[in-house]
Amino acid sequence: MSPQLTLQTPLELPPSEVPNYLNQLWSRDQANSIGAHTFCLLIWQPAWVEQQLVRTGRIEGPIMGVQRDEVEEAGRKAILELDLPLSTPPLGSSVSNILAKVDGSKTSDDLRGQHIDGALSTLRPRRLITLAPSLDSSRPLETLVAAYCPLPEEGGGTVACGDVVVLRGGTEALQEGLTTLQPLLPDDLPSWVWWNGPLDESPELLEQLSISPRRLILDSALGDPSYCLNLLATRLASSQAVNDLNWLRLGSWHQTLAMVFDPPQRRDALSHVVQLDIDVEGDHPVQGLLLASWIADRLGWTLKKTHRHDAKTDDSSISAVFQRPDGTEIPLRVSPVPMGQPSIHPGQIVGLRMISKPEHGEAMCVILCAESGGCMRLEAGGMASMELVEEVVPLLHTHVEADMARLLEGGHDSSNPLLAAAAPLAAKLLS
Amino acid sequence: MTATITNPLRVGLRQERVIAPQCLVIFGASGDLTHRKLVPALFELFQQRRLPSEFALLGCARRPWSDEEFRSKMAEAMGDKVRDHPEAWEQFAAGMFYEPVDLQKPEDVVKLGGRLQEIDRQRATRSNRTFYLSVSPKFYAGGCRALADAGLLKDPQRSRVVIEKPFGRDYGSAQSLNRVVQGCGQENQIFRIDHYLGKETVQNIMVMRFANAIFEPIWNRNYISSVQITASETVGVEERAGYYETSGALRDMVQNHLTQMLAITAMETPGRFDPEAIRSEKAKVLQAARLADELEPWNCCIRGQYGPGGSDGAPLSGYRQEPGVDPHSTTETYVAMKLFIDNWRWQGVPFYVRTGKRLAKRLSEVVLTFREAPVHLFDAAGGSPTANQLILRIQPDEGAEFKFEVKSPGSGMRSRPVEMEFSYDESFGEPSDEGYVRLLADAMLSDPTLFTRSDEVEAAWRLYTPLLELIEDSPWKLPIHPYESRTWGPAAADALLARDGLLWRRP
Repeated sequence: MSPQLTLQTPLELPPSEVPNYLNQLWSRDQANSIGAHTFCLLIWQPAWVEQQLVRTGRIEGPIMGVQRDEVEEAGRKAILELDLPLSTPPLGSSVSNILAKVDGSKTSDDLRGQHIDGALSTLRPRRLITLAPSLDSSRPLETLVAAYCPLPEEGGGTVACGDVVVLRGGTEALQEGLTTLQPLLPDDLPSWVWWNGPLDESPELLEQLSISPRRLILDSALGDPSYCLNLLATRLASSQAVNDLNWLRLGSWHQTLAMVFDPPQRRDALSHVVQLDIDVEGDHPVQGLLLASWIADRLGWTLKKTHRHDAKTDDSSISAVFQRPDGTEIPLRVSPVPMGQPSIHPGQIVGLRMISKPEHGEAMCVILCAESGGCMRLEAGGMASMELVEEVVPLLHTHVEADMARLLEGGHDSSNPLLAAAAPLAAKLLS
Repeated sequence: MTATITNPLRVGLRQERVIAPQCLVIFGASGDLTHRKLVPALFELFQQRRLPSEFALLGCARRPWSDEEFRSKMAEAMGDKVRDHPEAWEQFAAGMFYEPVDLQKPEDVVKLGGRLQEIDRQRATRSNRTFYLSVSPKFYAGGCRALADAGLLKDPQRSRVVIEKPFGRDYGSAQSLNRVVQGCGQENQIFRIDHYLGKETVQNIMVMRFANAIFEPIWNRNYISSVQITASETVGVEERAGYYETSGALRDMVQNHLTQMLAITAMETPGRFDPEAIRSEKAKVLQAARLADELEPWNCCIRGQYGPGGSDGAPLSGYRQEPGVDPHSTTETYVAMKLFIDNWRWQGVPFYVRTGKRLAKRLSEVVLTFREAPVHLFDAAGGSPTANQLILRIQPDEGAEFKFEVKSPGSGMRSRPVEMEFSYDESFGEPSDEGYVRLLADAMLSDPTLFTRSDEVEAAWRLYTPLLELIEDSPWKLPIHPYESRTWGPAAADALLARDGLLWRRP
């Protein structure tokens, strides 16, 4: 689905006038003004890489803030030209940081918040509020408002409209503009906050935006790994509903590993795991740690010790030892592996190896490999005497907006209990 | 189901598709189906975390219950399911409401609209509604009209109607009902339910056929000599005599469940996995199906009725002795028939369909018998080689088996049949969802793949029109053959196959 533009040209209003304007727009006294009684979505939309690519003339504008191939390709090109490691994710902080040092002053239209992905618009959000920080941190606050009516694709149906509000400016100006936000999020509608940027870039702002009972959507693949996991664990421990897009992307790994143990005759092997290895792309281990923690939680393992190797010694892997309920120790290793064509999401899992040695019966080695890379590293060494179960895990080629839509569609007002159990353990693995 | 430890890695992973926030409205909420099937299915979906938090269930019936009475009556009827999960039930029940509604009174339906708006505000259900007509079939048309007149079906994206079987009594009444419901909303808003399509094993027929390269090339008249479709029950008419007397096995089982199994078994490969593509293929194959002898249907159809049976210690009464049944009833409790499908794939291949109550065993299965090897090179243990058979077990003991010949151990070259088996139990070890769980979820997801479209329903009724007319006009030409309870039906049904040199499979 291609992004849709608002039908009304956005109107620039002083921030203080926005609430009144919108109240009037959806006033019950106005004929034909049907505001969708659905949900509000507040989006932190920095699009740093896209902004830097435009500024340095690597792509043409306008800046839209939605995931698109042109930005990804330009990001990959920048990685090669600016001598970043090949495993660098093309839309990650490393790319925006290095581009920030490149000269350039190109400008373009900034349509962030005005382009609504089809996957989101079909859900008929009542209000989309976009906070669009600009590269120029001193830029004053601009507030744009537009009404928005998603038209049913096949015609027919009532048109329940919503509105979009864009707050654009430097981070400080946005911080000041937060007072405008509270009256824009009605109490009678569920509100979601989507932090679509590194989790550690503006902690105070994130804190202010995502107050309970607003539901928080974040991506634990963006930002410092320890920070991401600690934040995730803290938020999950509170009563707030937290959804993690990085966890959502683990879905096919969860399903494939569960599928291996669906046949009842294999289930005993789960009680006799003796080793677990996980390979991840680049140097962001969060997804790997979440997967390991999910397995540990489901199988009742307790964490005994953990150790992060020193990146300076060319080994930035994480080692840990778990203990099974019967007391047996299980070594875990989460290792970064270089990738020629890394995913746009940092730290995606490349492979998993789980070895079980039942007391009676043949040892079993389960190897799962991502479609994107081989499993040669995990296939190496000493498995000839074991029953080998090897599966390829399909890659999910969905845009982040489609992942968002999947979450919003469900409307869950609580956190996924599997994530709630795994995240604190994953945070401990990095501590 | 074999008792096995749960796969700990599977727990919590089953919520593949998430249902959008909405309100499910059940008309006939005081009826049997609601507490026996629908509310348990919804509670199951809730426990699997497949219902959104913004979900509400509104029960509607004529009885003047309150929300609280509705909740407690459902809890009471569900017994252990609620007692074993009190906290989950408490959370689920918080989204349950009740509104007294008589679908024949327009003012009641208008009032219902107001209550739904209130629930939208209370539960943020986004004006998204699924209306489930679990009422007497005579109210289907009026119910749809009342909903449409109250403006509750105006939005085709946000409103849908689920209609229980039977959809019509014959071709003409099905056409009339289709005209009414299609006048109330678009076809994609109408979900005609057939709970057989909710069964994993019925859906698995499509997966086996279209996800494996080995089956489709031989799934045709060149390799298959006959197909048998059986749905047998061990129970009698039980408390359904009132309904059953007016329907019989043909309307109760054949026109819907067995015909759907036939359609899925015989349909062409859809171009894509898309509700309309699949339903179009099913409709096409049903339109090509016919009774083996339409002019003289008594040559290809056997009707039966169970008589007394059982043992001295546990005698079973015959159908005519059941409470509520006319002692001279000519309602059939058993039907066997032979059909053909006039298309390139199936021309000349007989499809034998049978169903009955009080038969020897409870089972549903599809059996595809392959042609014999053209030359018999080896002696067979049974005299001649057994034809290969692919048996798709719908229930119980869900799975599939393939029968083929192998060399019997020893110095000679004699062949004997063996079986290669797939069992849901052994491969997955966990029970699959009850059909209503799947179908309710699909309806709320607006996914009509497993629901029958208007042309499918009409084609299915048209297929049996010669029989229905004969039963109506000259019932003596299609006599009722009595059979003893807990046997495999009347001898005449065996003779139907014997004429073609075949036997019913005795599982």
